[in-house]
Amino acid sequence: MIEPALDPVSLEILWTRLISVTNEQAAALMRTSFTAIVRESGDLSAAVFDEHGRMLAQAVTGTPGHINSLATSMEHFIARHPVASLSPGDVLITNDPWKTSGQLNDFSVVTPAFRNDKLVGFFGNTCHAVDIGGRGLSANATEVYEEGLFVPIMKLYDGSRPNDDLFRLIEANVRAPNEVLGDLHAQVAANQVGADRLNDYMDDFGLEDLRALGTEIVTRSEGAMREAIAEIPDGDYEKTIHTDGLEEPIKICCKVSIRGDSIVVDYAGSSPQVARGMNVVLNYTAAYTNYALKCAISPEVPHNDGSFRPVTITAPEGSILNPVFPAPVAARHIVGHFLPHAVFGALEEVIPDRLVAEGSGNIWLATVRGAGEQRFVTVFFAAGGMGARPTQDGLSTTSFPSGIASTPIEVLESTSPLVVRRKELRPDSGGPGQYRGGLGQTIEVEVRTGEPYVVSVLSDRVRFAAEGYRGGEPGMTGGFLIPPDSRPNPKLFVHVEAGRRFVLELPGGGGFSPPERRDRRAVERDVLEGLISEEAAARAYGA
Amino acid sequence: MAERPGRRRARISADIGGTFTDLVLLRDGAIVSTAKVLTTPNDPSGGVYNGIQDLMRGHDPAEAAEVVHGTTLVSNALIERKGARTCLVTTKGFRDVLAIGREHRYELYDLFIELPEPLVPRQRRFELTERVLADGTVEVPVDRDEVRSLVPVLREQHIEAVAVCFLHSYRYSSHEEVVAEILRAEMPELSVSISSHVVPELGEYTRMTTTTGNAYVQPVFAAYLNRLERSLGELDVDAPLHVMLSTGGLASAAVAMDYPVRLVESGPSAGVLSAAFFGAGSGSSDVLAFDMGGTTAKACLVEGGTPLQAREIETARVYRFAKGSGIPLRVPGVDLIEIGAGGGSIARVGPFKLPKVGPQSAAGDPGPACYGRGGTDPTVTDADLILGFLNPTFFLGGKLELDVDAAERAVGELAGDLGLALIEAAAGVHRVVNENMANAARMHAIERGRDLRRYSLVATGGAGPVHAWGVATALGIRRILFPPNAGVASAFGMLTAQPAFDFVRSLPGALADTDWDTVGTQIAAMRAEGAHQLRGLGVPNDMLEVRLGADVRHRGQGETLVVALEEGLEKDPAPQVEAAFEDRYVTLYGRRPPGVPLEVLTWRVRVSGPRPELGLGEGRAETRGTLKVRRKVWFPDQNEWIEVDVLDRYAVAPGDVLRGPAIFEEVESTAVVGPGASIRVIDGGSLEVTIHD
Repeated sequence: MIEPALDPVSLEILWTRLISVTNEQAAALMRTSFTAIVRESGDLSAAVFDEHGRMLAQAVTGTPGHINSLATSMEHFIARHPVASLSPGDVLITNDPWKTSGQLNDFSVVTPAFRNDKLVGFFGNTCHAVDIGGRGLSANATEVYEEGLFVPIMKLYDGSRPNDDLFRLIEANVRAPNEVLGDLHAQVAANQVGADRLNDYMDDFGLEDLRALGTEIVTRSEGAMREAIAEIPDGDYEKTIHTDGLEEPIKICCKVSIRGDSIVVDYAGSSPQVARGMNVVLNYTAAYTNYALKCAISPEVPHNDGSFRPVTITAPEGSILNPVFPAPVAARHIVGHFLPHAVFGALEEVIPDRLVAEGSGNIWLATVRGAGEQRFVTVFFAAGGMGARPTQDGLSTTSFPSGIASTPIEVLESTSPLVVRRKELRPDSGGPGQYRGGLGQTIEVEVRTGEPYVVSVLSDRVRFAAEGYRGGEPGMTGGFLIPPDSRPNPKLFVHVEAGRRFVLELPGGGGFSPPERRDRRAVERDVLEGLISEEAAARAYGA
Repeated sequence: MAERPGRRRARISADIGGTFTDLVLLRDGAIVSTAKVLTTPNDPSGGVYNGIQDLMRGHDPAEAAEVVHGTTLVSNALIERKGARTCLVTTKGFRDVLAIGREHRYELYDLFIELPEPLVPRQRRFELTERVLADGTVEVPVDRDEVRSLVPVLREQHIEAVAVCFLHSYRYSSHEEVVAEILRAEMPELSVSISSHVVPELGEYTRMTTTTGNAYVQPVFAAYLNRLERSLGELDVDAPLHVMLSTGGLASAAVAMDYPVRLVESGPSAGVLSAAFFGAGSGSSDVLAFDMGGTTAKACLVEGGTPLQAREIETARVYRFAKGSGIPLRVPGVDLIEIGAGGGSIARVGPFKLPKVGPQSAAGDPGPACYGRGGTDPTVTDADLILGFLNPTFFLGGKLELDVDAAERAVGELAGDLGLALIEAAAGVHRVVNENMANAARMHAIERGRDLRRYSLVATGGAGPVHAWGVATALGIRRILFPPNAGVASAFGMLTAQPAFDFVRSLPGALADTDWDTVGTQIAAMRAEGAHQLRGLGVPNDMLEVRLGADVRHRGQGETLVVALEEGLEKDPAPQVEAAFEDRYVTLYGRRPPGVPLEVLTWRVRVSGPRPELGLGEGRAETRGTLKVRRKVWFPDQNEWIEVDVLDRYAVAPGDVLRGPAIFEEVESTAVVGPGASIRVIDGGSLEVTIHD
C-alpha cells in the first residue's frame, strides 16, 4: 500500500461531501417521485457503494425500514451480475422482498458508476411504488403470489438500452402504470445524478478510486460502533412482547447478547409465520433492529458497511420474523414497527437512560370505501402517544418508529366524503410515571354519502397496552368503536350502515419511573389542562 | 404640517437587530448618512430614537419623505414567549389541533427531541358549535348567544388577544366575522385575529398556528408602533412609517398592525434585498445571498433580481435549531436557510476523531478565545485569526484587540487532539465550516432545482466576506461580490424595497371542475384589497403591478408547486394553468407523467408598487492611504504561508483592478480573496472577484 493516509481534515471533508452526494441523489428522487409518501415522508433510501459493493454512505432520509436493506441487497445484485460483466449504461432492478426491503411495493434500482471507463462504485436506491398489482397494500393475502408482480434481479437497462419487455410487463400489471413507470424512471435518473456528482467529486479532490477513502470510512465506523458497544456490560438481555396480530396475538421474543464489542440479537421463540401478509422478512427485521440499536447506542455513526459489522441479527427460519417463501409479506410494518420496543425492552435493565418506554407502535392507517352507489376509497393516518423518556414526558400523538406525518382534516374532507366530528387528545391515555407517556387521540368520523360503507384500520395495541419502564405504568389501550357500543375487529373489513359513525381511539404511551416521583406542579398542570382527569390524578399520583 | 414640495427628498431606514440598530439616510437615491446604536431590548423604539438623532445630525428632519422600518420584535416575542395573553376560539371537536400538530418526528434517530408548546394552553382554547363543510356550505350556523357567553370567561381570564379559526373558513368566512364583530363590540380593548383574514389557506393546523401567532404578537406590536410614531414626532420627522415584511415588500404601519405575523423575518429579508440590489448593479441578477454572522449563516437564492419566496416560515425552534422543532407560520417570506455556522461556532473533536465545527457557538459572550473575555473553546474566528485573515489590531476597526496567544492556545489544544500542527488545525476549522455552509447551500439549491455554479455569491455579515472565498470555491461558484457598507446592509436593503403585499385564497378542487366565476371574484377581491392597501403607501392604481399564481399538483401528490400565471385568466383559464404547471414541473423535474389530472388548491395574488429610484452611489475612495501592510497568510488550499497585500477597503475606487491574493480591511469585516483571482472595483464600490481555474 503506497496510498498516503488521509489527514483528519481531508477525511472529514471527503466523508461529509460523499454523504452529500447521496443526499443529492435522494433529493433528486424525492422531487421526482409520484408517490406522496416518498416525497413527503422520505420513504426511500439512496446510497453509494464501492467497486466491491461495500456501502460507503447512505442519504439521510425518513424511514428506518430501509436501513441497511440496500446494503444487503447489493450482495445479491453482484452475485447475479458480477462486476466484470457490467458496462456503462447498465441498470439493475428487483423487488424481491427477501433480497431487499420486505414487500413487493419496494423497487430497488442499482446503477454501476464508471470513471474513465473503469467501474469505481455503485449507486442504489429503493423507493415505494404506489401500486404493484395483486391485492393492494393489505394483510389479506395468504401467499406472496397474491400480492402482486414479482421482479427477480435483472437488467432494467442494458448498456443504455431499456428493457422494453420488462417495462411493458410492469405496465400491464399495476393499477397506476403512469405513476409506477414514472417512479422507475425517477429512480434511474436519481442514480445517474449520483454517478455524475461522484465524478465531479472525484475531479474536485483528485481521486481515481474510492478504495483508500472507503477503507477509512468503514474501519472508523466499525471502530466507533465497537467502542460504543463495549461500554455496555456483557450479558444476555431478554424481552418478550405481544402485539394484537390480525386474529391471534403475535409473540416477539428478543434476546440481545453483548460480548465485548459485538452484539447478537436473536428472535428465537417468536411466533411462527402466519398465512396473513404480516410476515417480516429477515432484512426488514434487521432494519428495525438496527434502527433501535442505532438510536440507543450510536446515533452519530452514519450508515455504511462498517457500522453494523459488529451486529448479528438472527431469527428462526419459518418464524414471523424470518418467513419462508412464498409467505405473504405486504403489511410487514404492522409487526416490524414493534421490534424497537422489543430491543429497548431487552436493554431496559442495562441502559435505561438511553431509551424510550413503549409507545403506540405502528401508525394507524384507516381505509374507508363506499359500499353503495357512490364509489370512493380514502386512506388516512393517525398517531398515538410515544413512550415517556428518562427525563421527559412522552410526545403526544407522535408516530414512532415510523416518521410519517398525518393528513390535515381539511385536506381529507376536501378530497373525500368524510367529515371528521372531532379530533382531540385522549385524556388519561398517557401512562402514569415520573415522566408521563404521550397521549393518544380520539377521532370520530362520519361518511356523508348517506350509504353504507366499509372501513378497515391497520391498528394495534387494542389488546396489549404500551408498557412503562423503570416503574412507569402502562398507557391506555386503543379501541375501535361504532357508536353507541359496537366494537368489531377493525383489522378486518367492517361494514357500517348508512349514517353511523366510527371512532378511532388511539393508544397512549407508557410512563417512565414511578408516578409518585412526578413533580406535583406537572400533575397540577396536566389536571388544569385536562390532560388527566382529577380521578385519574388521584388514582395514579395520589393528588 | 403642510407639504413642502421639493424639500422631501430624503428617506430614512432603521433596522433593529438583536444587538445593534442600524440606520441609513438616503437623499436623491444616495447614502448621505449612516448610524449604528445599541438596540434597547425592552423598548426598541428607544434605540430608534437615539439612532435617528445620530443619523440626522446636520440634516433637516422635515426633509424625510418616508421612514422604512424592520424589526426583530415579532420573532423575539415568539421566541421568548413575551406576547399577549391569548385564547383560541375554534370549531367544536378541534381545540387540540394546535397541540396534535403534524404527528411526525423531524429527527428520526433522536429519541429526545422536543416539540414547541402551543402559544395558547389547552384551558384557553374554546370551542363553539358551528360547522362549515369542505365545499363551503354551512352545516351548523354559529350561535351568537354562545359567542356572547364567551365574554365573561375572557374577562375573568384577563384575555388580551383572541385568535378565531374555524374549519374551512378559507371557503366561508362569515362565522369568524360574526365572532370578531361580537367580541369587538363587547370588548373593544381586545385584539381579535381571524384566520380567514390572516391566512385564508387550506390546512387547519398551520392556519391555527399562524392566526394564533398573529393574535399573540398583535398587542405588543401595536403598542410598540405607537411609541415609535410618537418618537418620530418628537424628532420632528413628519413622514409616514412603512414596515418591512418577511417577503421583502413594504407595508403601511396600519397594515403591519393588522398582520404583524408577516414581519417574522423582517430583518433578514432586508439583508437579502441588499444583496439582490448590489448583484443587479454589477450585472448579476442571479445571486446567492450569503450572510455569516457570529452564530449562524443565512443563505437565499435571488433570481432575476428577486429573492425566491417560501410559503411557510418556521420560527422559535426549540431543539438545537432543528427544522421541524419550531412553530410553522403559513406566511410568505424570502426563502432563507439558516445554518448553525458563524464566527463564534466552536470546533471540537467529534466521532471518529474527526474535526467538527458548530452548531454550538460561543456567540458574543464569552465569544471566541481571541476576544479575551474568558472564552477557551476554539472558534472559527480564532482559526481565521491564526490563518492571518484577520488583523488583531483592526477588528471592528480596532475597537476590539484580538488576543493571538489565546487563539493559539485554544486551537492548539484541538490540534493536539487531532494530531495536527497548529496551522493545519486552524486551516481545518476554516475548511470544515466552509464545507458545512456549502453543503447546506447546495442542498437548498438542489431541492429547488437550481445549479449554484451559475450564480454569483454576494457576501455580507461580519464573517461572510472572510469565508466567501472558501464557500464559493467549495460550491464551484466563479464570481464573488463584496458590497460596500456591509455593516448597514439590512438597513440599506429596506430602502431598495418596493411596496408589496401577498394574498392567498384556497379553493381546492380538480382543475377540470374549477368554478372560474368564483375564482375570478376571489382574485378581483384580492386585487382590490391590494390596491386599497398600496394607496395607503401612496401608490396610485395605474402604477400597480399584479401577479397571479396558483398552487397546483398532480392528483395524488401531496406537495404543490406555485406556478406563475399571466394576468387575465378570463380566456381559456384551464389550459393556461396546465401549461404554466407543465413548464414549471418540467424545469424542476425533467418530465411529467402523462394522463394524471391536475388539482389547484390555492390562488395567489401579489400586488406591488414601483421600486424606488436608487443609485449605486459613487463609491468614492476616502483616501486613507492605500496599501496598509503586507502580511503572511495561510490559505488552506495552498498549504504554505504566502505574503499578501492588505488593503484599506476605503481606499480603493471604482475602476481599480487588482489580483488575488489580497485582503481588504474595513470596520465591520474583512474581505479575503485567494491567489489567482481577478479583482475589479466596480461602480458603487463593490469588489467584483472572478475565480479562475
